[in-house]
Amino acid sequence: MPPDGVPAGPPPEDSDRLACGKPVDDLLAQVTDGAPPRDPEHQRGCPHCRAALAELEDLWAPVRDLAAEHVRAPAGLLQAVMAQIRELSRNAWQAVLHDPVGQTRIAARVVGAVARLAAESVPHVTLALGGGHAAGPMEATADPARVAGPEGEAATDIGVAGTHVVIDVQIAVDFGVPIPQVADQVRRRVAHHIATHTGLTTTEVNVTVVDVRQPPADH
Amino acid sequence: MSRVAEEVQGSVDPLEARWVELARGGDEEAFAVLVRAHQDQLYRVALRMTGNPHDAQDILQEAFLQAWQHLPSFRRDAQFSTWITRIVINRCHNLRRARRPTDPLPDEAEPAAAMPQAPAAEALAMAAQRRDAVRQALLALPFDQRAPLVLTTFGGYTHAETGRILGISENAAKVRAHRARRALAIILREWR
Repeated sequence: MPPDGVPAGPPPEDSDRLACGKPVDDLLAQVTDGAPPRDPEHQRGCPHCRAALAELEDLWAPVRDLAAEHVRAPAGLLQAVMAQIRELSRNAWQAVLHDPVGQTRIAARVVGAVARLAAESVPHVTLALGGGHAAGPMEATADPARVAGPEGEAATDIGVAGTHVVIDVQIAVDFGVPIPQVADQVRRRVAHHIATHTGLTTTEVNVTVVDVRQPPADH
Repeated sequence: MSRVAEEVQGSVDPLEARWVELARGGDEEAFAVLVRAHQDQLYRVALRMTGNPHDAQDILQEAFLQAWQHLPSFRRDAQFSTWITRIVINRCHNLRRARRPTDPLPDEAEPAAAMPQAPAAEALAMAAQRRDAVRQALLALPFDQRAPLVLTTFGGYTHAETGRILGISENAAKVRAHRARRALAIILREWR
């Protein structure tokens, strides 16, 4: 509170200086930014300075309160961010075909879709999931199930797989069929379709049989 | 000075540099460490910049995603905190502030009415109201003032660090922050 009988200092916008001649800005910096008083001796004895300081302190108190408020990021934020990032690494790579007149980029999901459709066109394959990851430089050797360029052909960019791809397909087959033969057929057909449709070279087609199903009743 | 302010003045934290390096190589867990380490501080900045918890969360999510995608272009001699804060501030800038300027904040709904009318409760309600006034007053400041003010007064960044984040000199950051504090004081006085 301002001392009795002394009018509060002029508001900062009204004038640049207090009645005692001290710049209001100095007091503002003192209160709001912790700047040391320019003239502590004067300030101790000056009613104008003391009144203005008291008023500024009061004005700035809720700002300090708010700044001191404990703020924490929402609980689900980390999870949400990481889920998006994983999604991104799953789908963001592209295969690149270089041509003298330009380059062709084929998105991962296109390669995955071609592989899936090719696999599903094989008799006795009822369901297929195709695709995989673009390997980061460190993942290339760690996880062969992920799609990347072959060894020795380093991806030039994160998310770029080059012209050679490793395909990973998961299939469900009809119950009773010889799985190795079906898998082999899937492998050859996927490689053929990838080459025909995308121009990419498959260095590996990994087939994972994840389920067997009752074939549709045809009797 | 806060912990953050001390950190940003020093050189690159070697442990953090290691996490950044791993994340650059595609290590998602390493990136999760970085997110965990910085999310509270960044959320505080985004919340004071936008005045809206939903916007702040969206901005943080997008900023982290952008950081992940652009890590390969991150300069190793820079501070990760400077870089990511800059992304957050830029996103705050792009946010259409005009969208919901007068919506009440979730935590300011009927601040006084529900409270018992004891003197202590009244004082509490009054203090809460005055903090709300600060939140609103921040939004009334132009971006050029709000950003340095939020970073320094609410984020605890030094003027030098604030300058690096905003891409201006330390002195310019200091001048703008001071101008912003004056503008905020004027608004608060008018609203009293």
